[in-house]
Amino acid sequence: MHRHSLTKALFVFPCVFAITMVILIPFFLGLYFSMTDWNGVSDSIKFVGFTNFEKILAQPGFIYSFLISVAYTVINVVLVNVVGFALALIVTSNLRFRNFYRAGFFVPYLIGGIVLGYIWQFLFNNSIPALGKILSIDALQTSMLSLSDSVIWAMSIVNTWQYAGYVMLIFIAAIQSVPSSVMEAAKVDGAGYFKRVFTILIPMMANSFTITLFLTLTTSFKQFDMNLTLTNGGPAARFLGQPVMASQLLAMDIFNTAKANRMAEAQAKAVILFVALVVVSLVQVSINKRKEVEQ
Amino acid sequence: MRRILVILLVMGLVCGAAFAATPVTINMFQLKVEIKDALDAYAAKYSATHPGVTVKVETLGGGADFGGALKAKIQAGQVPDIFVIEGMGQYNVFKDYIADLSDQPWVKDTDLAFMVNGKVYGFPVSIEGYGLAYNADILKKAGVDPAGLTTRAAYEKAFALIDSKKKELGLDAVVSMAASVSGGMWWVAAQHNLACYWGGGLPFDDTSVIKKALKGQLDDARFLQYAKYVQLLFKYADRNILLNGSYDNQVASFAQGKTAFLHQGNWVDPNLKQLGVTFKMGYAPHAFLDTPEKGLYLFAPSWYCVNPKSPNAAQAKAFLASIAMTPEGQDYMVNQAGMIPAFKSVKLQPKGQLSQALMAANARGGNYGVFFGMLPDGAGQNVFAPIYDLFAQNPDNIEQFISDMKKAVATLPTM
Repeated sequence: MHRHSLTKALFVFPCVFAITMVILIPFFLGLYFSMTDWNGVSDSIKFVGFTNFEKILAQPGFIYSFLISVAYTVINVVLVNVVGFALALIVTSNLRFRNFYRAGFFVPYLIGGIVLGYIWQFLFNNSIPALGKILSIDALQTSMLSLSDSVIWAMSIVNTWQYAGYVMLIFIAAIQSVPSSVMEAAKVDGAGYFKRVFTILIPMMANSFTITLFLTLTTSFKQFDMNLTLTNGGPAARFLGQPVMASQLLAMDIFNTAKANRMAEAQAKAVILFVALVVVSLVQVSINKRKEVEQ
Repeated sequence: MRRILVILLVMGLVCGAAFAATPVTINMFQLKVEIKDALDAYAAKYSATHPGVTVKVETLGGGADFGGALKAKIQAGQVPDIFVIEGMGQYNVFKDYIADLSDQPWVKDTDLAFMVNGKVYGFPVSIEGYGLAYNADILKKAGVDPAGLTTRAAYEKAFALIDSKKKELGLDAVVSMAASVSGGMWWVAAQHNLACYWGGGLPFDDTSVIKKALKGQLDDARFLQYAKYVQLLFKYADRNILLNGSYDNQVASFAQGKTAFLHQGNWVDPNLKQLGVTFKMGYAPHAFLDTPEKGLYLFAPSWYCVNPKSPNAAQAKAFLASIAMTPEGQDYMVNQAGMIPAFKSVKLQPKGQLSQALMAANARGGNYGVFFGMLPDGAGQNVFAPIYDLFAQNPDNIEQFISDMKKAVATLPTM
C-alpha cells in the first residue's frame, strides 16, 4: 500500500513540479510584487501594502483603459460569434467549393497579430483614404484610426476578421454533430429555416457556444499584439477632463507602465486584470452551462 | 619525494602562466542598430591589436525593448561589462551597476558626459541634435532667407508666405511634422519639441526651467510663447502626417520636396541619402520666443556605462578610452559609424548635410541643451504624448493645451 502511493506520487511529481515552478510561484510572487515598490532591478524591495492599487485606481488613464477594454470585449464577443456562426452556417450548407471557403476563412487566424496589425494599419491609413479620394466619399477620406470614436471599431473589425474563422471551425464541428434526423423531422413538420436554426440547432450546440464565448471573451480582454501594431494606443481622447489614449487596452496599459520602469504598479494593474478576467469568465461559463442540453 | 615537489612546482608554474594569459572577454550590450556593423568591425580590430582582450558586441535596438532586455540580463546574472543608458531614469534603475568614470582621460575633452553630483558616469556615444531642417532650394524660390528665422514672428511671416505659394512650389504643406501616438511619433512633439521649452534661449547647461517643472511648476509667460510656436507648427503641418504619419512618411515628404521644413534631427541624414536627396538643406533654430534665438539643440542621446562589479572593468574602460582618444577610434565614430563625436579634439567631418550643419553650430557655440532625459521615465510617452496628440487634432484650442500641460507638469513630482 505504501509503495503504491509512492509510485502515484512519482507519477504526479512532474506535473506538480511544473505547475509549481511556472504557475504557482510566479503567481504568488506577482501578487507580492504588486504590493511593493520594486522597480525590476534594485535589490531593495519595500512592502507598501495597497498603495499601488490606490494610486492606479485614481488614474483616469487606467480607468479609461479598463472601460475601453470592457467595451472592446463586448463588441468582439458579439461580432466574432455572430460572424463566425453565420460563416459556419454558410459553409455547412450545400454550397459549391465549401471546403475551399472553410480553409479561406480560417487562414487569417494563422497570421500573427503583429503582422496583421501592420497590414491593416496600411489599409486604414493609406488604402481606404485613397479609395475615398478617388470615389470622393468624404467619410472614407479620414482614417478610422485617427478618430477616437471609431478606432475601437476599426480594431474590432480586424479582430473579427482574424478570429471569426477560428470560431467558425468550432461551430462547424458542433453543427455536424447535431443529428440530421432531428432537423429533418422539424422540416417535415413545417418549420422554416430560421425557426430550425434558432429552436433546434442553437440549443443543441449550446456547449460549443460556451467554448467560443469563453475564448472570444478572454482573448479580447487580453488583446495586446494587434493593439500595439495597429493603433499603438492612439489617438488621444479626453476622459474625466484628462488626456488619455483612446485605444490603449488594459494589456497595453500594463506594458507601457512596465516600460516606464514602474514594475510594481504594472504588476498591480495585472492583478486587477486577472481578477476581472476570472470573475467575468466564471460568470459567463456558469450561465452558459445552464443553457446546455443533454443530447 | 623531490621529484613530486618538482612536478608540483612545474604544474604550479604552468597553471600560473595559464592564468596570466587567460583571455579577457569584454561583453558590450548596445542599442544603436545603425552603427552595428561599424562597431563590430572596430571591436574586431581592437581585439586583434590587443592580445588577450576580445570585445564582443551584442546589439539590440530598433523597435526592440533594450531596457527590458538589459533588466533580464541583470536578473539572470549576466551583467554586460559595457552597456547603454539613455538618461536619468535608467541611471536610477541601474546605478548599482554603473562605475564612476571621473578619472578617465576623455572626460576633459567633452561637455556631454553623463554626470550626477559632479561625477562622471557615462561616456557620450555621439552628439545628436536638431533644429527645424529646411529645404534651401524651396526657401530660395519662395524668397525666404533662412538666416532671418530667429523669432516666432519671422516664422509666422515665412510660413504664411510659403503657404500662399504652395501650388507654384509644388508643396503639400509647409512643415513635415509628426505628433501622433498611433504613428509611434509622439517623441517628435512630446520629447524633442517640448525640449525647446525646457532649454531654448538659455545657456547650454541651464536646467532651471526643467527643475522648476520637476517641482510641478510651469513658467506661464515662457510657456505661452512656446505654445504659440507649437500651434504655428501644427497649423502649417501636413494634416495626414501630423495625425497618422510614421517616421518614413514624415521624412519622405520632406525628401520628395513636398514640404519645405522637417522637424527631425540629424539622424535622418542616412534616410535622406537613401531617398536620393540632392537639394541643399540646413537647420534653422526652433525660435519660439519673442526675442531672437540662434542656437540649435545638441545632446548626447545615450551613454556607455561600465559595470564596476565586473573583473574586466579596467579593460572595458580602456576600450572606451580608445574610441575617444585614438585615431582608429575617431575614424570609427565619424567615418564608419557616421556619428558626430562628442569630443572636441576630433577634427574629422561627418558626411551628411544636417550633421555638418550641427557640427558647424557646435563649433560656433551658443547652442541649447536638451534635458528631457531628466524627466521621470514614461513622462514623455504616457503623460505628454496624449496632450500633444489632442492639440494636433484641434490646434485652435491653445488654452486647453496650456491647461492640460499645466496639470500634467503638476503631477511630475509624484511620478
